[in-house]
Amino acid sequence: MARARRARLPASGPPGDERTVELARRLATLLGELGLSEIEIESAEVRVRVQRAAAPVLAPPATLPPAAPDERPLVTDLVSPTLVTVEAPMVGTFYRASSPTADPYVQEGDAVKEGQVVCIIEAMKLMNEIESKVGGQIARILVENGQAVEYGQPLFLIDPQS
Amino acid sequence: MFHKILIANRGEIALRIIRTCRELGVRTVIAHSTADAQSLPVRLADESICVGPDDARSSYLNLASIISAAVVTDSEAIHPGYGFLAENPAFADICRACGLTFIGPSPEAIRLMGDKAQARVIARQAGVPVVPGSELPLKDEDEALDVADAAGYPVILKAAAGGGGRGMRIVRSRAEVAQALAACQAEAGAAFGSSEIYCEKFIEEARHVEVQVLGDRNGMRLHLGERDCSVQRRHQKLIEESPAPALPAETRAGLHKAALAAAASVNYVSAGTVEFLVDARSGHFYFIEMNTRIQVEHPVTEMITGIDLIREQIRIAAGEPLGYRQDDVRSTGHALECRVNAEDPVTFVPSAGRVTAWLAPGGFGVRVDSHLMAPYAVPPFYDSLLAKIVVHGHDRAEAIARMRRALAETVVEGVKTTIPFHLKVLTDPAFVRGGFTSVDSARLTAP
Repeated sequence: MARARRARLPASGPPGDERTVELARRLATLLGELGLSEIEIESAEVRVRVQRAAAPVLAPPATLPPAAPDERPLVTDLVSPTLVTVEAPMVGTFYRASSPTADPYVQEGDAVKEGQVVCIIEAMKLMNEIESKVGGQIARILVENGQAVEYGQPLFLIDPQS
Repeated sequence: MFHKILIANRGEIALRIIRTCRELGVRTVIAHSTADAQSLPVRLADESICVGPDDARSSYLNLASIISAAVVTDSEAIHPGYGFLAENPAFADICRACGLTFIGPSPEAIRLMGDKAQARVIARQAGVPVVPGSELPLKDEDEALDVADAAGYPVILKAAAGGGGRGMRIVRSRAEVAQALAACQAEAGAAFGSSEIYCEKFIEEARHVEVQVLGDRNGMRLHLGERDCSVQRRHQKLIEESPAPALPAETRAGLHKAALAAAASVNYVSAGTVEFLVDARSGHFYFIEMNTRIQVEHPVTEMITGIDLIREQIRIAAGEPLGYRQDDVRSTGHALECRVNAEDPVTFVPSAGRVTAWLAPGGFGVRVDSHLMAPYAVPPFYDSLLAKIVVHGHDRAEAIARMRRALAETVVEGVKTTIPFHLKVLTDPAFVRGGFTSVDSARLTAP
C-alpha cells in the first residue's frame, strides 16, 4: 500500500533550514523503507511533504514484452487430452469453501458428479457457486484459496474417466 | 495521485491511457476480452485481467465484470476511455458506490447530457442556440408531423438515447414522416434500448465544429479551442483538425462561449466536448449534443495546446486543481488527424483480416496513436479503427502537406484501409481552401 500518511510531531525547537532538510532526508529514507509514495508530517512550526518522483524513465525494452503476461500454468503441456478443465466463468475471488470455517468443497483426488459445486467465486460481495460440468475425479486444483481469478482462468482439472 | 488505475477499454485509447499513466507514475491494469489477450495494450500494461469472452456485451460492456476486476486488482480508479461504458451513468454511479473513482464527469452530468433530447433543452435554457425542432421526445406520429411542419423540411429524426452519429434518419417531405419515424424507433430500440425519437430541422450544408472543455472539481472551467470534424461518412468522422479553418472571429468566439455555458449548466467536471453545427449558408451555429467523455480526435487539441488531455482527466479525478486559467491556454499552429480504419476506401465495407506489415509514419511533427503490430489479427468484434495519424504544422498548408507526406509513407498490408480516401480529401479543393461541409462529404463518399 503506497498511500500518504499524516503524523504530528511533538513541538520542538525552531525548525531552521537545517532541521527541515534533515527531516526531509529522514522522511525520504522512510519512504523507501516503508514502500510509500508520499509522506506528510506537520508540527506546530513546519509541514514537510516528501513525495516519490514520477516513475523513473523506463529504458525502452530491448524486445517486446512477452505475449502472455498472465501466470496461468500452460495446462495443455501438463495434462493428458482427456482431462477436462473447469474455467472461471467470471472475474472475482476464488474460495475453496463456502465460508472461512467450512471444509473445502473438494480436494484433489475426490470424486465429483456433474453439476456438483466445486468452489465459490466471490464478485462484489456475491458468492457464486461454481459447478463442475462433468463427473469424474479432481485431478488438480490450479488456484489458491483467496486468489483473484479472471474470466476463463483454469481452476480445476477433472479426469472424466474415473 | 492514484496508485493504480484500471483501464476499461481496448485498442489505441487503452494504449494512450497506459502511456500517460506511466508518465504519472500510476500503475495500470487493463481489463480485456479474450480476443484482445495478445494485444499491444495488454502486453504493455503493468497488469491485465480478462473480463469476458470476445463479444463486447460480455466483456467491455459487462459492468459487473469490470467493477469486479477493479476490486480484485485493488484499483482505485477506472478510466473508461471512449465508447463502451464511458457514457453509461449507471456505471459511473456504481463506481461511486463501490468507492472507485470514475475518471470522467459526475453520473448526473452524464445522465443529463446523455439524453440528447433533454440536452437540447438544457442548452437552450443556458442561452445556447439549438437547432429548431422538438423540445422533448416525440409522443407520436401526429406530434412528429406538427414539429416537422413547423421546422420546415427537410428534418432529421434522431434517437434520444443515441449520439455519435448513430440512429438518425433524414426526412424530406411530410409523406415520409410516418414510415421514417417507425423505422427510427425500431432501430433505436434495438441499438440503444430506448425508442424515444426527437426531431430537428436538417441543415443541408453544415460544418461540424466542436469545442473541447475541461473542468476541475473546484469549479474552474475552460475551453481548449475548437475542432472541425466535417469530413464524415454517415456521421462517422474521418478527418479532424484544429483550429477550424475559415471561421469568422465572432463565430469562433461565440462557439467557445456557448460551449462553456453548456458545460457550466451541468457543473461539468473533467474533459468533455460540446458539438455544434455551423450552417454554411447562414453562418449561424447551433448546439447539437455534448459528449461527456474524451473523444477519439482529442490529439489535435493536444498538438496545438501542448496539454495532455488524458493527464488532465486523471489529475482532475484525483482532486487536483487545473492550476491554470483560460488566459494561460495558448495554441500554436495547426493540427490534423486522419482515422485509419480497416475499411475499403471506396465502399467503407469493413475489411477484416490479418495485418501482415505495418510501418507507421514518423518524423518532424508527426504523431501516431495506434495499437497495431505485425502480425496482428484485427478482431471483428469491435470498431475498425487501426490508427490515428496526427500531424502538426506551423500553419494549415504545412499541416496538410505534412499529412500527405505521412500517409504516403504509411504501410498497412493484409487489410484495406481508408488511407486512399484521406489522400483524396487532402487534395480536394473544398478541403484545401477550408470550410468543407456535409455536402462535400456526401460528394466524396458517394459510391
